[in-house]
Amino acid sequence: MSPTVIKVENISKCFGKVRAVHELSFEVHAGSCFGFLGPNGAGKTTMLKMLYGKCTRDKNSDGLIDVFGYDPAREELAIKYLSGVVPQENNLDEELNVIGNLMVYSRFYALDRVSARSRIDYLLGFMDLSDKLTAKIKELSGGMQRRLVIARALMNNPQLLILDKLRQLKKQGTTILLTTHYMEEAFALCDMVLIMNKGQAVMRGSPSELLERKVEKYVLELTGSHSLESIADGSVLNAVRVDRTQETLRLYSDDADRLKRLAGQIQGAHYYLRQANLEDVFLKATGRQLNERQ
Amino acid sequence: MKDSKPCLYPPLASRLYSVWFRHMRVYTRHIFSNGLPPFLEPLLFLAGIGLGLGKYITQSMEGLTYIEFLGTGLLVTTAMFTASFECTFGTFIRLEFEKVYDGMLAAPLTANNLIIGEIIWAGTKGLFFSFAVLCILTVFGIVSLPRSLLAPCVGLLTGLMFSTLALLITSFVRTINHFNFYFTGIISPMFFFSGVVFPVSNLPGFIRPVAEILPLTHSVRLVRAVCTGLYPPRLLLDVLYIVAFIFIVGFFAVRRLKKRLVF
Repeated sequence: MSPTVIKVENISKCFGKVRAVHELSFEVHAGSCFGFLGPNGAGKTTMLKMLYGKCTRDKNSDGLIDVFGYDPAREELAIKYLSGVVPQENNLDEELNVIGNLMVYSRFYALDRVSARSRIDYLLGFMDLSDKLTAKIKELSGGMQRRLVIARALMNNPQLLILDKLRQLKKQGTTILLTTHYMEEAFALCDMVLIMNKGQAVMRGSPSELLERKVEKYVLELTGSHSLESIADGSVLNAVRVDRTQETLRLYSDDADRLKRLAGQIQGAHYYLRQANLEDVFLKATGRQLNERQ
Repeated sequence: MKDSKPCLYPPLASRLYSVWFRHMRVYTRHIFSNGLPPFLEPLLFLAGIGLGLGKYITQSMEGLTYIEFLGTGLLVTTAMFTASFECTFGTFIRLEFEKVYDGMLAAPLTANNLIIGEIIWAGTKGLFFSFAVLCILTVFGIVSLPRSLLAPCVGLLTGLMFSTLALLITSFVRTINHFNFYFTGIISPMFFFSGVVFPVSNLPGFIRPVAEILPLTHSVRLVRAVCTGLYPPRLLLDVLYIVAFIFIVGFFAVRRLKKRLVF
């Protein structure tokens, strides 16, 4: 297995009375893509910010953060030098144009003008922004601004890429940390997923492992208000887990045929039989949906 | 797990320079609209005084004609105003609305680097604005060269002083409108009661100690000394005051403002 590049042990963070992160521990291996999956307000962003020193961790905890062998509390500069950060909000410098933004940013890494310029040309090409060299930030679409922020994060060839709520990205060799509340994204991109809720780790594992171990294989989703009492043969409900959230009734089972039979017995129902996904894993673990607001 | 090779992030001077460079680039992007007013403002001021008010003031002040007295004062008030605006409204907007600092703090910079870079930039603006006034004063023959060439350095010190004070104020401010109190309550009175428009010695005895507390009083004394070439020994106290002010107020400004950046 590739070496551990990030090690977090028992880290907590409170903002006043709000406990944003609570005794969180995890490890990230070099070259892997590690995702934090959880609803808004679960503490994902706060955790990321603590890694590169934008947030301080609570001092009273006996916690440890180690990124490439550096502690952000004392050696944030080393961590930042080796990392690229794409924040949740595009925080480009609107007083400068595209090239101005990148040239100023290259100075932060003390790149000389010539190598900065060639790096910028490469990055803009890579992000499909070459023709926007002298455009003002406000002239760029939201998607273009996002790509420019990514180009900026890649300025110093980072060994670690930190992506906060990023929807699109191309996979490369670097270690990637990302947060998301879209389970498709976590499933498609991540080697390792840590599911968070209310500042705590709920479960962790590779996406396929989570699906295999933590949830039944199939789901029968019924919308509208249905009563299971109308089912004549009650024995069919054995080995079926029932979950009712708001308007939706979900019946979980490893046996698709059983669910099909069940569907047939419910009068006039609109149903949808599908494979379980990470959303179901999250729902099972927390009783909440990922896109719910906290 | 520890990286075998040492991490080669840029040294302190390079980091401070990069912050300064960002501000300089933003400022010089609109060189005409940013660079011209510092020259026009003293011109208007001197025209107004020279053509109008000046005629009525025939008494010499501290051995200077009124236009010399006021003109030399403007060398530092301009630095005071520019540094104050830069580090109140300017800093606040970058901090709260534009989120420029958030972007910068993802690069290898600490919050301290950022704030100190801001102070150095405001000092640079003080130097430049002071230089602009010096150009106008020289053209009108109000000050004589080469000794007055040191005046922009006093502008630099003034800019540094007022940027630290402004940043300290900014660290307390939650809404941008609160800065109005700072300008009306502190900066404007300073313009009138620090020996710029009339000598501090003309103030009533009980107010004079207050004038000595105001930072601008010391800048004004220093810049007049530079322009007249007369350096009384007590000037050392003014220099000491300025240096101590920059470091002490700067220390608290950095400490407090840092909590707005990293929390």
